[in-house]
Amino acid sequence: MRAPIVAALLGLSLAACESGPRANLFVVLPNPDGTSGAISVDDGRKVVVLDRPYAASQLRSGVAESVDVSEQDVQAAFGPAIAARPILPARFRLYFMLNTDQLTTESEVLYLSVFEDIRRRTVYQVDVVGHTDTVGTRSYNQQLSSQRATTIRDRLVKDGLQPGSITVSGRGEADLALATADEIYEPRNRRVEITVR
Amino acid sequence: MKCLTILGLRRLAAAAALSVGIAASLAVTAPPAAAQGATIGQVKTVSGQSFIVRGGARLPATAGDLVVEKDVIETGGDGSIGITFVDNTVFSTGPNSQVALEEFRFDSSEFQGAMVASVSRGTLSVVSGDIARTSPGAMRVRTPTTVLGVRGTRFLVRVGDDR
Repeated sequence: MRAPIVAALLGLSLAACESGPRANLFVVLPNPDGTSGAISVDDGRKVVVLDRPYAASQLRSGVAESVDVSEQDVQAAFGPAIAARPILPARFRLYFMLNTDQLTTESEVLYLSVFEDIRRRTVYQVDVVGHTDTVGTRSYNQQLSSQRATTIRDRLVKDGLQPGSITVSGRGEADLALATADEIYEPRNRRVEITVR
Repeated sequence: MKCLTILGLRRLAAAAALSVGIAASLAVTAPPAAAQGATIGQVKTVSGQSFIVRGGARLPATAGDLVVEKDVIETGGDGSIGITFVDNTVFSTGPNSQVALEEFRFDSSEFQGAMVASVSRGTLSVVSGDIARTSPGAMRVRTPTTVLGVRGTRFLVRVGDDR
């Protein structure tokens, strides 16, 4: 009976330090903004939807029951898995001057922060995807978007990234950040999106 | 004593994560290991006894390893593995865990895909990515007795010994 006392002293809940077999446990965590998505738990007889932070379901002998969990319970039951979580992927949008593969002044600064982000990671993969606005033909824009992406890729490699860790593609005017009619100048669509993970 | 063991493991994992962080620099990044089939993700964090089981071979996992569909992640008593997939889904397991990457398809231009992972034991932390956004039911996590459907969220799964 000493285990519960030790648990209390350590600030852990009994649920996390249960003796006997450990039940299957499913917990929804909050997003950084405090909201959450949802998971549905189907045990073959019924479906339980967990759709708020720290909503949890425990399965004992095949029977799902709702349980309350605290942050401490979560740390006690899942600490190592949470500690092993990789740095989450980050996305950057670099903008280009009209009809060029040259970055705007603001995006030159952002380019440096892409590097800062990569430096935090032990290993990395980078996707570089080019886009244009709707001025010009589709085929011209396809080529321009590829050129923008390739320019950024080459620069990343020149600045020290491994070529094998970078993928490059161009989406032309097929994937507008801001929907417009054809032949519309839109600086926010002239961009390269970089995902670092 | 179970509680103390859990705490001990947490400290170990935290220490390992810290040392990985200190070692991090662009210069030390190893080239990605070769893997057959389309790459679906990359191992980002490793500690303790951690393996990728591929076609019957049990390979010690290393940060930078590429993973492919059908790989099985396995950890021992002091192990953990973190993986980021190409759709930006993020998995990490605790000790004594086994997670099979049964199905993974993702078309980044059409933004469509499907993912099925199976947890047969241990703990798994998930931050869902683009696949879970494509359609309801596109991402599922199975356990021996349940099926989880994922709608864009962070969640945790433990498969214990009482199922």
